[in-house]
Amino acid sequence: MSTATEAPTAAPSITPVVVRLKLSLLRNGLRQSGGRRAAFITSAVVALLFAALQLLGLVLLRGHAHIASVAVIGVAVLALGWAVMPLFFPSGDETLDPTRLVMLPLRPRPLVNALLAASLIGIGPLFTVLLLVGCVISVAHGAVALAVAVLALALALLVCVALARTVAAANIRLLTSRKGRDLAVLSGLVIAIGMQVVNFGMQRLGSTDLGRLDPVADVLRWVPPASAVGAVDSASRGSYGVAVAQLALTAAVLAALLAVWGRSLDRLMTSPDSSTLQAVDAPVRKRTREGGGLARLLPSGRTGTVMERSLRYIWRDPKTKAAWATSLAIGLIVPVFNALQGTGTPYFACFAAGMLGIQMYNQFGQDTSAFWMVALTISSPRDAYVELRGRALALLAITLPYATLVTVLTTGLLGEWSRLPEVLGLSFALLGAMLATGAWTSARFPYSIPQEGFKNVAPGQAGLAWISIFGGMVAAALLCSPVIALTIWSNVSATGGSWSRLLLPVGAAYGAGLTLLGLRLAAPRTAARLPEILTAVSKG
Amino acid sequence: MEGAVAVGTSAVRVQGLWKRFGQQVAVAGIDLELPAGKFVGLVGPNGAGKTTTLSMVTGLLRPDQGAVEIAGHDVWRDPVAVKARIGVLPEGLRLFERLSGRELLSYSGRLRGLPGNEVDRRATQLLDVLDLAGAQHKLVVDYSTGMRKKIGLAAALLHNPEVLFLDEPFEGVDPVSAQTIRGVLERYTASGATVVFSSHVMELVESLCDWVAVMAAGRIRAQGPLAEVRGEAPTLQQAFLELVGARDRDAGSHLDWLGGGSR
Repeated sequence: MSTATEAPTAAPSITPVVVRLKLSLLRNGLRQSGGRRAAFITSAVVALLFAALQLLGLVLLRGHAHIASVAVIGVAVLALGWAVMPLFFPSGDETLDPTRLVMLPLRPRPLVNALLAASLIGIGPLFTVLLLVGCVISVAHGAVALAVAVLALALALLVCVALARTVAAANIRLLTSRKGRDLAVLSGLVIAIGMQVVNFGMQRLGSTDLGRLDPVADVLRWVPPASAVGAVDSASRGSYGVAVAQLALTAAVLAALLAVWGRSLDRLMTSPDSSTLQAVDAPVRKRTREGGGLARLLPSGRTGTVMERSLRYIWRDPKTKAAWATSLAIGLIVPVFNALQGTGTPYFACFAAGMLGIQMYNQFGQDTSAFWMVALTISSPRDAYVELRGRALALLAITLPYATLVTVLTTGLLGEWSRLPEVLGLSFALLGAMLATGAWTSARFPYSIPQEGFKNVAPGQAGLAWISIFGGMVAAALLCSPVIALTIWSNVSATGGSWSRLLLPVGAAYGAGLTLLGLRLAAPRTAARLPEILTAVSKG
Repeated sequence: MEGAVAVGTSAVRVQGLWKRFGQQVAVAGIDLELPAGKFVGLVGPNGAGKTTTLSMVTGLLRPDQGAVEIAGHDVWRDPVAVKARIGVLPEGLRLFERLSGRELLSYSGRLRGLPGNEVDRRATQLLDVLDLAGAQHKLVVDYSTGMRKKIGLAAALLHNPEVLFLDEPFEGVDPVSAQTIRGVLERYTASGATVVFSSHVMELVESLCDWVAVMAAGRIRAQGPLAEVRGEAPTLQQAFLELVGARDRDAGSHLDWLGGGSR
């Protein structure tokens, strides 16, 4: 339309409107339930306390020889957090999902500015500001450096927020296409590997002095937004030219991010939802053929049917796939990396069983509201038992060989073959305990897994999820205690060593017994609580 | 016709059914008696409690109070008898969408304990009749609304239930798919089975149903054979508006700025 005629009347900036919208969304979200309010206040207090402590620490460390490295790396990690956050917690951005503004006659540029301003509101940005203040103060010496610090703070904050927004916008595009599932898997691996990197980083830090950080920091001080802190440091040292270059680099990256974000917003708002396109021209692939072979290997009746569906979902459902990929990766990485470093013990191999056992938790939540199809075919505790057993068997079909493989690999890498039987026995016992508690909590504490975004708990059900997973894990550990006690005994007592081979059959039998018991206890609960389970898993 | 047999037997009997969600009463003590072998329509505006009622009748939602019997069996005390006799197409609940259409039917049929080759045979026929044969190997997540309703209907029919409950089966469905669904349902009721479906489209209910229950604000306002409920009114729409007490609001005078080109 003609912008010329509009110009005199229109043109009030939409920024205040969007900022107010964000504020009222926040307020209304809090008004919705007491639990949500409590969660918000708790997380705010914790985050602010943490940030305040960090600020204090950084200010106190001012003048330390390697403080610049710490500050630069700190900001880089912070930025990484902002980049990864929207993948896992879209809720922070959900309040202003740009696709909801599609129908409004808005141009991308003012929209980008307005959304950027709105994203500066919240706990996250406040936390970031506190942290950044600590970082820049810790390296700023002299009036010029302080002036640079103010500029650096603003630039770094904006880069963080813009980074999160850009990733989120790109992410929404991916999510509307089914290719999003690949990203989902990727994000699980990012967490898994990221955790390990942090873990090893901490170990390094603990064993050596901060001076080891300097080479990393020397690179990062040229990577925005850490380059903003680098600029403050350079200014403190008197190299003003370098400081200007670093600030300019940060500003350039900010501009680039805003441009990319604006472009993807533009595309998001003007191109049709890819799901509708796909319905028309997606090539028809024969999918049953691949399943045909699978079905032949599985037992007949409900057991095989349930197993087949569960196994297909592990591969095809992005949420399930991501959870499995994470579990498989962490279950392998933790024991094997530790063994490679020579610091681990073969008992770390139990990690694989533990991680994979988690997949038994919240079985019905994984079904989402499609659980009604299951609920309509369960009319007795027996049906529920077969249903749960089928799911446990599907899980075992992958977990059992995998846990065995990881255990053998770990003990092999450490060269402690004599411990293989007892570690395997312990793994199997743990797996059995996880399956048992998983089945029981699936019936007792089901919760929804939203299919949109990367969140794994529906709002208001986080408490349930925590009870379910952590209560279950503690219970599983307790249930395993007889086998753990036996293992300790066989290692400690003089005659115990010769018995350690027996721990393999004992552990396996104990695990199998626990699983059966867990399924037996879970089945009547499931059968009696079908409507309640359906309600609980339909919130996503 | 089997209609003669159906006289006196109820497919569904509901007594004093209540459901509250917090402060809000969704279903306020309804009694219903739906005859067997009929095409029954449950009509009412959005938010009348149709979905809540159907969920409770099919055992997917636990009522606060009240009893439901299907073909003489209590839904909550005798789930074995009831669940084998009903087919359900709910509204607002997902399917197992990461299965292909054929896999979904195969899964659903086998879960109900039908032998595998029988499931395959019936699935092939249903997919043919419902015009889904071409998309049978596509994942349900890529289906359109009409295709989803059709595959859901196929899954609900697979075990040849006595009573079929369909929540808004024509909502968002294109005319061609709607006609297909209609044909299948008409054939199914002609064989003596009962279809209970909810809708807020009166013309549809009027053209399809022999028997109508009108619901508004959680209560049943009228129930009986279509002609009886319609009474003197020229159309069901008119009768319905009178029943739920929607006056002809004079909307025009307040919206004098609307239309006419000026902004």
